[in-house]
Amino acid sequence: MRPLSQDDIAPTPWPVTTGMNILVVGVGGQGVLMISKALALMAQRRGFAVKQSEVHGMAKRGGIVFSHVRFAEQVWSPTITRGEADMLVALEWAEALRWLDHLRPGRGVFIADTRQIVPPFACRSRKRGAPSGYARETPAEIVGRHADGCALDATGIATALGDSRAANTVLLGRLSAWLDYPVAEWHDVIAAIVPKGTREINRKAFDAGRGWTPPAPDADPDLVAAVPDALPDRHVGVAIEAAWCKGCGICVKLCPERCLAMDGPKAIVATPSACTGCRVCEWLCPDFAVTVRNEGVPA
Amino acid sequence: MSTRLTALHGNHACALAAVAAGCRFFAGYPITPSSEIAEHLSYELPKVGGTFVQMEDEIASIAAVIGASLGGLRAMTATSGPGFSLMQENIGYGAMIEAPCVVIDVMRGGPSTGMPTRPAQGDIMQARFGSHGDRPVVALAPASVQEIYTETIRAFDLAEQLRTPVTVLYDQVIAQLLESVAVPEPATIHVHERKWANGAGAAFQPYAAGEDGVPAMVRPGDGHRVHTTGLTHAESGFPTQVPPVVDRMMRRLLGKIDIHAAMLERYETLMTDDADVLVVAYGITARAARRAVMVLRAEGLRVGLFRPITLWPFPEGPLRRLAGQARAVLVPEMNAGQLVLEIQRLVAGAAPVHPLGRIDGEPIAPDQIVAAVKELAVHA
Amino acid sequence: MLDVAPATPFDPKDYLRLQYMPHFMCPGCGHGIALRALLAAVHDCGIAKDDLAVVCGIGCSGRVGGYIDANTFHTTHGRPLAFATGLKLARPDLTVVVVTGDGDCLAIGGNHLIHAARRNLDLTCLMLNNEVYGMTGGQASPTTAATRLTSTTQSGAIEPTFDACALAAAAGAGFVGREVTRQAPALKTLIARALRHKGFSFVEVMSDCTEVYGRKNDLGEAPEMILSQKADMRPEQHNDAPNQPFRPNALPTGVFVERDLPEYGARLRAHAAMIRGDTAR
Ligand SMILES: Cc1ncc(C[n+]2csc(CCOP(=O)(O)OP(=O)(O)O)c2C)c(N)n1
Ligand code: SF4
Ligand SMILES: [Mg+2]
Repeated sequence: MRPLSQDDIAPTPWPVTTGMNILVVGVGGQGVLMISKALALMAQRRGFAVKQSEVHGMAKRGGIVFSHVRFAEQVWSPTITRGEADMLVALEWAEALRWLDHLRPGRGVFIADTRQIVPPFACRSRKRGAPSGYARETPAEIVGRHADGCALDATGIATALGDSRAANTVLLGRLSAWLDYPVAEWHDVIAAIVPKGTREINRKAFDAGRGWTPPAPDADPDLVAAVPDALPDRHVGVAIEAAWCKGCGICVKLCPERCLAMDGPKAIVATPSACTGCRVCEWLCPDFAVTVRNEGVPA
Repeated sequence: MSTRLTALHGNHACALAAVAAGCRFFAGYPITPSSEIAEHLSYELPKVGGTFVQMEDEIASIAAVIGASLGGLRAMTATSGPGFSLMQENIGYGAMIEAPCVVIDVMRGGPSTGMPTRPAQGDIMQARFGSHGDRPVVALAPASVQEIYTETIRAFDLAEQLRTPVTVLYDQVIAQLLESVAVPEPATIHVHERKWANGAGAAFQPYAAGEDGVPAMVRPGDGHRVHTTGLTHAESGFPTQVPPVVDRMMRRLLGKIDIHAAMLERYETLMTDDADVLVVAYGITARAARRAVMVLRAEGLRVGLFRPITLWPFPEGPLRRLAGQARAVLVPEMNAGQLVLEIQRLVAGAAPVHPLGRIDGEPIAPDQIVAAVKELAVHA
Repeated sequence: MLDVAPATPFDPKDYLRLQYMPHFMCPGCGHGIALRALLAAVHDCGIAKDDLAVVCGIGCSGRVGGYIDANTFHTTHGRPLAFATGLKLARPDLTVVVVTGDGDCLAIGGNHLIHAARRNLDLTCLMLNNEVYGMTGGQASPTTAATRLTSTTQSGAIEPTFDACALAAAAGAGFVGREVTRQAPALKTLIARALRHKGFSFVEVMSDCTEVYGRKNDLGEAPEMILSQKADMRPEQHNDAPNQPFRPNALPTGVFVERDLPEYGARLRAHAAMIRGDTAR
């Protein structure tokens, strides 16, 4: 594995005269289409023929969303085939990996948010830090395999700027570094397509993405947190099957004794001793993740 | 004596044949000119312990038929053009989940409400392509009341063997025509028993099939507890979108027809050995064509008739062979030109293929075919 | 079917296809709560998994069946009641439960609902009403309340809604009830009552679509949505005594109709016996 260096990151802008194939991927609600709209509008203003095709069927429920943007003097096919994408912009990490084979071998640029949205079916074990069905490659490994590109915490950057939803614009800014268009034109394009009230934050996000440089490498965070101790042997008790928990928070907010708490994306049993065995959490967990043991109260 | 001669209307023959074939469930919605099938079955089915139900529309009818088939019964519905249109989505579902059933479509003049009491042959391409996506298609086209009887029985036999919906297409004329029918003794009628799954187990794969491409069917309550879905599914029965799996499953589904091509093929020829002009006709039109061939032969013209009885899959091989010997092919049919497209594709230029369409609600008369053949013979 | 709950405690894992869990529903989706209540009711009634058939339509609600370790059928959009009619007539020995959605059951399948209710075949229909087309991304359904935002009512819904229970009752259903997912134990009891009812029983489950409806309408996260069910559904109007007149402008919960009507399958079989008797004579 090759460590990331500044050289890997600094883009050489492509003089865009012949056009490009850009694939934008993510999951529902992340703003994939905003990026492709911006690209399409930019290309249009530059006098290219543009084709943009997208899939967003079940997008609103977190499903896969992707958009093909193609611009050139003349474009016929609306979609980009495998190995033909000049750029892959991914708003979610697993989606980034899923679409890798679409990049042009040896030349394609890879830009991805490192943020993971773990689908419930990728959870395989109740221990935190235990292997899941989610992709295990590290950003550095992936970027290292590609000709050019970067992986950045766009969501983190956007959150720091005040709105996590602007992560897509951070990535657009990053992407713009590979295209030879003036910043002012990008600002215009963004202003034209985002809601009025969000122009400011989007402009900031764009600039932050465009000017992004990789952070100094940190020590690896300790992924494996302590597993909660087994419940004391009482006649009542509550347990959460972490692999099935999707973190909706119903049990946490509806437990009358406040036994449960959120720990990041999952619910945990915070004060097991307070559980009276009322089973509210068990009944209301949509995911069958909570089990209450109470010899006194029938299930 | 193993048969007895009875005079029957086409639709009555269809109903009796269904019962004889072991049909024990019928769901339908009234529509001219198919209603007599339902009317007869409403009385005949209860007599043999079967169920007749009149549903709220044709969508519900085919759905109930598939539901009953999934429950383990031989099941059928009958309709005409407008109802056949409504059924298309669920016919595709039946093909996808591999539920055997029989759909009778008594063709009437169309499009839309068209001419309810006039004959037509305008639904044959709908029978082929009416449901979205690719699916296995089997359609039979009887030409007489006798054949309505035998082909209805064969429809059940094919449906049960191939685990797929089978359509029987005939028109208003033979539906309501009274003809004598040789009704075979029940004991001589044989419909294959559906291949049932046995041996429940965790590893059971309801859509895994052997060489014949037909998976054994699960009877609810037998302990398999499987999932049935119209979503593209893997051998497990659960949805998949993994391209190689989808490809494998779809090829197996469509391949059932190819594997059983010999069993499916059925056609009739009349004086084709030396025919210069080959007439290709099906259903009621084939009867006019038969008469026309006799008349033309009497006048010394070398004309023959090719009559597909299994319309889909079309008996391609025999047609190609005969068309290869002919100098011209004529396709009379009661529509604006549907089967002729398929014949042109199959003959592929070996001989000129001419349509002879009729869309005024009248059957094609022998004279018309005679005239058209003479025209061709002159130019051939 | 058992009249009293079995002695063995209910464990949903006994009734789920564990290899497909966790299910595909979004975090907080009420359909999962309804699924649990259904399984608990099946357990209470002592229905063997082999004898249970679950027939679903298309939608998020339609996907519920696939997770149940029984004979499960995922049919076409709007038609599960029609498929179930054929299945139940062919196999009176099976307990047939239909799981459908508000769009599936009241829009594209509305005709089948009223006729299934009228016919009174022994089916139990569970309609998961989340007031929206969840699966297709949040379009308005026949139960989307006025002013609600959906992707096809971007400035607020304007159409009047169906009261599904009143509809089923008017069409002749023998058993009609409604419950919110918030009252999951009561929901289970209601479903169990519906399962035990001989004839067509209709249960409307008020379910939350957190992802495409709650979010769009600022109804809060899953916990807020489920907590607000209490206020919306007026539990003070809980209907303990069935067969009361329907109250307009409210969505009360409880059992509204419970009446003994001739069951269609039994009628059909008696009728057939009569025909056979006639022929013999
Ligand atoms: C004939 C047909 N039309 C449209 C669709 C698309 N479709 C799938 S699910 C659905 C709506 C489901 O809504 P609902 O029944 O309320 O279920 P929910 O997802 O909300 O649980 C639609 C319109 C379809 N599958 N088939
Ligand atoms: S879209 Fe709505 S109804 Fe469908 S699973 Fe998600 S929350 Fe549930
Ligand atoms: Mg809905």
